[in-house]
Amino acid sequence: MKRLPSLLNDLALLAMLLVIAAILTTAMTLQYAYGELPCPLCLLQRVAMFGVCVGIILHFRNGYSVRNTGLSLLFALFLLIVSVRQTLLDIYPRPGHSYIGSTVLGLHMPVWSILIALAILLAFAIKLAVLGGGEQLRDARPAPLLGGAAAVLTLYMIALCGINFVSVILQCGFGECHTFGYKLL
Amino acid sequence: MMVAVFATMLLALLLSRVGPPWLAILSLIGCLGLSVGLFLFEIYSPDYGFRMPWLQTMLDISPPGRLT
Repeated sequence: MKRLPSLLNDLALLAMLLVIAAILTTAMTLQYAYGELPCPLCLLQRVAMFGVCVGIILHFRNGYSVRNTGLSLLFALFLLIVSVRQTLLDIYPRPGHSYIGSTVLGLHMPVWSILIALAILLAFAIKLAVLGGGEQLRDARPAPLLGGAAAVLTLYMIALCGINFVSVILQCGFGECHTFGYKLL
Repeated sequence: MMVAVFATMLLALLLSRVGPPWLAILSLIGCLGLSVGLFLFEIYSPDYGFRMPWLQTMLDISPPGRLT
């Protein structure tokens, strides 16, 4: 019974990691399979999602720390700010400004990003409200099975970020990013 | 700049797995700083600054009893 809060905490963080990995995989599938190049603000939204994951990965490696939660929340907030600004930037179509890419279930990517950021913030808020950050979590280590799953997901996230890194070099070179095409191809 | 953002993020992810945690956090904070800088650069317009004049926030006050 003493381990239950720790188990629930690990399950919640693993679920978040899994969902973010799925979202980033979908975004990259749209990029490579359908040729929808990401805009600079879209790339920053991906960075923010990776940032949320680093906080979670640090938890699974070093145990619970409020600092890791704080790091993830910082990037979730950054995701919210970037996506809201991009939505407001493209909400009124004018020359040079309109939503880029196709819709998913009727919503464009920056609008989805707002919902994703709110979901991450809500998930952390509920987790902290229900489980707290007390001694029970502080001393606990992740269960072997969950730790193993987190390790696999961590390697997957590193691979995703590596692919994104190469892709950014090809798309932007060492200058500004554009959505016209890959600069170095 | 975007390359630097992704490079620091990749470094943070790698270090969060195999390196010292404080270095991962340092790289992550560096990435956040670069990202904020790039974000401000991207949204700044020489014409509008950081404002968004295409969003109309003033009330449309019509004289009472008159249909437009």
